[in-house]
Amino acid sequence: MRRALPWVGLFALFLAVGVLADQSWRRSRLALPEIGRRELEPTVGQGVLLGVLGGFRTVVADFTWIRGYVLWERKNDRAGTELLMRAACALDPRSRFFWENTGLAVANDMGHWEIRRRGGYAKVPKEIQDHLLRGYAQRGMVLLDEGIASTGGDAALLATAALVAELQLKDLGRSADYYRRAAEARAAPWFAARFAAANLWKEGRRREAYVWYRAHWLKVLRLAEDGSPDDLKELRDMEHELRLPLLQRLPLQPWEVSQPGFVPRTSEGVTAPSPVGGQSRK
Amino acid sequence: MKAACHRSLWIARITFLEAIRQRFFAFLFILGAALVLASGAVRVFDFGHSELKFLADFGFGGLFLFGSILGVVMTAQLFFAEIDNRTALTLLAKPLSRAEFLAGKFLGIWAVLGVFVLVLAALLAAMLGWRAAELAQLAAERRLAPPECDLAGLALYAALQWLRLGVVVAMVLAVAAAARTFLFAVVVGALAVLAGQLQWLSQELLLKPAEPGLGHAALWLLTHLLPNLQQFNLGDALVLAPHQVTAGTLPWVFLSGVAYVVAFLVLATFLFRRREI
Repeated sequence: MRRALPWVGLFALFLAVGVLADQSWRRSRLALPEIGRRELEPTVGQGVLLGVLGGFRTVVADFTWIRGYVLWERKNDRAGTELLMRAACALDPRSRFFWENTGLAVANDMGHWEIRRRGGYAKVPKEIQDHLLRGYAQRGMVLLDEGIASTGGDAALLATAALVAELQLKDLGRSADYYRRAAEARAAPWFAARFAAANLWKEGRRREAYVWYRAHWLKVLRLAEDGSPDDLKELRDMEHELRLPLLQRLPLQPWEVSQPGFVPRTSEGVTAPSPVGGQSRK
Repeated sequence: MKAACHRSLWIARITFLEAIRQRFFAFLFILGAALVLASGAVRVFDFGHSELKFLADFGFGGLFLFGSILGVVMTAQLFFAEIDNRTALTLLAKPLSRAEFLAGKFLGIWAVLGVFVLVLAALLAAMLGWRAAELAQLAAERRLAPPECDLAGLALYAALQWLRLGVVVAMVLAVAAAARTFLFAVVVGALAVLAGQLQWLSQELLLKPAEPGLGHAALWLLTHLLPNLQQFNLGDALVLAPHQVTAGTLPWVFLSGVAYVVAFLVLATFLFRRREI
């Protein structure tokens, strides 16, 4: 009994230290977004282990991405491509590049790969094709949403999600919502606010589109160095098409009169030319 | 007590001088430094990350990989050199306890690893500081927010890595105290470090809701007996996103690191006392 006593003491000591380390881990794991990601589990034996261990994560993530990209180019191994691309995202969840390209690959390409695997466009019925394309677009959106959360609402990722929602899911409301979040995010793309308003407008929510775009112009875009004249012109077109009374319109800006093509508007008649730009409301 | 400390420090000094003269140390030291310096040149091959993250990762990787190799191999080598050359026998014949001998060995090796961490961290800080200043200037020209890079966070990370290497050294000393050959100590020590780095997997399993049973109890035991070395890898958060580290995290990590060092040194002393030299 006495001979076992030191061993019992050591056992108790290590258990006490373990309990202490447990408390420490519960706090420190919050600062390690790479930890606990299920996407890494199947790839741990494929060279990803070093990245999980600590250090060289970016290098391992780069190599994992390249391996996934090679499979993407071959277009015949959907599961492998997705696995490796998701592993790269999991190794460095703060990287926009990995999330964006993985989301786009899944949403835009993998549905077509699946149709081809099932015999091609001539053989697979149209309804099944639509179902597949929509299903993969939804999966891509889930990935992009995860990326948006992991990167703290990256504006470019929000814009990509908006594009997928619009082009693949044909969901203008959802697309407008993403564009709106992109416009309100840090380092917003110049087109985000305009596209948000345009998609809401195209969905028939014209008044809402104008109200939000106007508020955003007043709060953010007006403060830009050039005062965002293209956005103001778009707003003027909206005001004209909504036939807003002059008093409800944005006040005339001092620099607006000197803009090329400036036409003073009245609330009568819709004679304005069609708006120009990348994302027309028409 | 004072005399004991004096004797341990004397052993530590001898160990430090012996370790720092080793070619193996010089080789890994130069390799680590070259890796950090080369990160500036190879950053063009990166995609998907911010430049500072890529540079920092090279430094973190160098500290982790070469530091761990040094910690395992150097500890086993210096310990077995004393045993094989019979100098341990001579030393322990004098008024020097086995605990003091092990404490001295630990402090000497830990000090060498401190030099390694300090130099690599200083090189990394220089690289990050230089590039962060350039990027901040570019960002200012484009009216963008400058990239985040906290060099004070890097100092904290270096301290954490030094502590992690302390845990590694104490762990390998415990293995070496019971092992009969150098090779066995190195292999088991390396496996222990690997297990420690992956210990969080079992900890994650424990955090998931599960029915209590024998398996769960075994997992709990394993989790609480193996050291968790992943908790020291807070480099990304400390240097590139300091707001991610919640208040109170670092004191807990430091406390748990020191507790592991003490526990493994106690185990090493216990095993070494029972060993026949």
